[in-house]
Amino acid sequence: MIRRIAALAVALLLVTPAFVFAGGQAEPEGEPVQELTIYTTTESYDPIRYEAAFMIADAWQELGFQINVSPMEFSSLLQLFYDEQNFDATILGWSGRVDRLDPQHFLGTLHGEQTDLGANNPGGYENPEYDELFVAQSREFDPERRRQIVQQMQAIAADDNPVDVLFYRDEVVGYNNTKFTDFVVMAGESLYNEWTPLEVTPLTDDRMLTIGTPQEPDTINPLDSTSVWGWKFMRMYYDKLVRLSPDIEPIPYAAEEIVDVDDTTIDVVVRSGMTFHDGEAVTAEDVKFTYEYFIDNDFAYFRPFLSDIESIEVVGGDTVRFNLAEPVASFITVTLSQIPILPQHIWADIENPADLAPDEIPTVGSGPFRFDQYDRGEYKRLLTYEDHFDADRIEIDGIDYIIYADSEGVFTGLLTGEIDMTAWRMEPGQIEIAEDEEDITVVSVGDFGYYHMTYNLRRSPFDDRLVRQALSYAVDRDTIIDVLLQGLGEPGYSVVAPINAFWHNPDITRYTYDLDRSRELLEEAGYTWDSEGRIYAPN
Amino acid sequence: MHHVVLKRLGQAVFTMWIILTVLFFLFRLGLPDPTVALVSEGLSPEDRARIAARFGLDRGIFAQYFIYLRNALSGELGRSFHYNAPVAGIVGDRFLNTMALMLPAILISYLVGPLLGVLLAWKRGSRFEVGGISSALILRSAPMFWTGMLAVMVFGIWFGWFPTSGMRTFPYEAAHFFDKIFTLDFLHHLILPATVIGLYYLGLPMLIMRNTMLEVLGENFIEFCQARGMSPARIMYAHAARNALLPVITQLAITIGLAVGGQVVVEVVFSWPGLGLEMFNAVRTSDYPLAQASFMLMAAIVLMLNLIVDLIYSWLDPRVTYTAAR
Repeated sequence: MIRRIAALAVALLLVTPAFVFAGGQAEPEGEPVQELTIYTTTESYDPIRYEAAFMIADAWQELGFQINVSPMEFSSLLQLFYDEQNFDATILGWSGRVDRLDPQHFLGTLHGEQTDLGANNPGGYENPEYDELFVAQSREFDPERRRQIVQQMQAIAADDNPVDVLFYRDEVVGYNNTKFTDFVVMAGESLYNEWTPLEVTPLTDDRMLTIGTPQEPDTINPLDSTSVWGWKFMRMYYDKLVRLSPDIEPIPYAAEEIVDVDDTTIDVVVRSGMTFHDGEAVTAEDVKFTYEYFIDNDFAYFRPFLSDIESIEVVGGDTVRFNLAEPVASFITVTLSQIPILPQHIWADIENPADLAPDEIPTVGSGPFRFDQYDRGEYKRLLTYEDHFDADRIEIDGIDYIIYADSEGVFTGLLTGEIDMTAWRMEPGQIEIAEDEEDITVVSVGDFGYYHMTYNLRRSPFDDRLVRQALSYAVDRDTIIDVLLQGLGEPGYSVVAPINAFWHNPDITRYTYDLDRSRELLEEAGYTWDSEGRIYAPN
Repeated sequence: MHHVVLKRLGQAVFTMWIILTVLFFLFRLGLPDPTVALVSEGLSPEDRARIAARFGLDRGIFAQYFIYLRNALSGELGRSFHYNAPVAGIVGDRFLNTMALMLPAILISYLVGPLLGVLLAWKRGSRFEVGGISSALILRSAPMFWTGMLAVMVFGIWFGWFPTSGMRTFPYEAAHFFDKIFTLDFLHHLILPATVIGLYYLGLPMLIMRNTMLEVLGENFIEFCQARGMSPARIMYAHAARNALLPVITQLAITIGLAVGGQVVVEVVFSWPGLGLEMFNAVRTSDYPLAQASFMLMAAIVLMLNLIVDLIYSWLDPRVTYTAAR
């Protein structure tokens, strides 16, 4: 008998919190919310996104939702997310590529015109006000006025909260401090930027900078490469009219001067005295040819940057005039800084450049380094081009790139002194070891790419703004960063990261972990709970 | 005899066709759309459709299948989606690199393994046998990514005796493949990964040899040999071992066949630019043509070696005749 009473008491104790939680509410109304699934990467692909999904699921369950976490192989995950849009919530990320420092791309991922299958806004967010501002900012040539619009858009996005920006992950890389000094650090690019080879000073007789990387160019055909690893290699031996300085300011490089005659007419004065690596002069005709060649070959990767160019003409011998159909705000920061200048005398005869066999691809550019060797999967080599206008400041003889199978291989290369710097981030375990090594300097840089959880706004309950806000208040960003990222990151709140200081808006809604706030918002949205704490959607 | 060879050849071709078909449908149905990776590079749906059309991915799956069979017959392996380059060139290079690693490792383990196996059988019941069997099992069960990493740490980082990645020191000049591998530098790079693989492979031929030897040793002709006063070494290696060799040979053929794909983990740990690494990447990027070609190559070599082994059998063991098999 006593035992039975004790059992009853225990049972009551277990049930009580549920009663207390229901807070004296009447019977729940409507239907219980159906089970929701968070899709994420597999643990082996990215343990951080994998663990984060389970942490978020736990918190949402505490709110009364039934949550299922489904880890998927990476390309299947991309397919489900972008191609099928068949998800409730998905955790993915956008990488910080230099051309994305201009806010155009990231703001575009919330644009109402990009909600089709396969496009960049799979969550399906549509807000006419936001869309209008998006078009306005992309046509606004004045940086100050454009910044105001961009910041306004971030505020709207933060309130509507269609995408929960989870965190910005620091890029932690390392270099061997006994071989070279004066490395350049750049947001989003860390050490592996276009300035490091121009600036480093050798400390020994070894004047070849050796870079270790686990990634490899998909191709070194400038009319075909669709990966950042192709471009990060090619930009060293091709020149560009504009390069972004380490502080992310556009500076004329192969251009001597850029004059905006009016909103839709831009004159670029080509620097005089430049030569290609085969000795031929670089002329305004080459520049005109290059841009027309990219437009004619309709190369998808660059199409968004080129689509507003109406015509290109050479005026006065050394000046290229771009006539635009509409003002393009990102013309100088992106269009002029991303297209490599090709030698007309080599490419003019190539009809279908995308079909070139690997050993037919021309490698003649006019950049500060010239192409020397590339063995797929193993090795690449560039040598300093002594006739380049910027060659005086280069103190190395060239760059060796060693390609490893994975980041573990790169790290071993750094430890054994085989390489001088890493092109790719180190893993947390490696960082600890590297910090103990006297010869290795560890560098940590913020990223302007971001990890996000996108809600599918076509589905209930994510179609309700209050629910989205409630769910985001239940995400414990600080713990994700402290535990999963071991402190190497920043909590996220805008698609334009804080490190992208010019465009970023710091004064917008931030969802800091607060389950009570979540419950208030859910109540406000008409949600109720039953005696077991299960959440019900309003009718 | 000719008739039998033709028949076996026919069977091999039929098997190959089945494999080709399974491969084709497996990759198409099992892997995600290869152009999906381009989304994260910011490409629009229209642009992706254009790229899909360029690779013929817009056609019906059966149309693709017949084009694929026709091309396979004429030895045309297609174009890699990821590298946008002919697959044959990529696979060819990688295949040679893998073989340069795997063949030395396998040959050494199949030379040393059976010899040790004979000894184990001969010393049955001794401490030597117990020790031998346990070490074979331990080597066979230790995961190669682990032994590989240990080798890198100890001999690469601590002692610094051997290079830890790749197959040669950069920069180098090599006119062709044989220039690459007939160098001391290559040998230096080869030792660590080949030892890791060799130790792993050692156990199997050793144990197979021991087990078959035990059977053979129980047979009458061994007693006759002993009665004739032959030395134990001569009985072991000249008489018993020859009769016990058949299963080892079969195993060798299969091992070499599968070795075409390399040891993915060892190739990853040592950044060896081989076919295994390439296959791994191909599956990750949904690069059907590249993955298919790699598996095709592997299947073709396994089939071919099996055929050869079948025919070698009759030479090694005259009791195996094909006419009587009917």
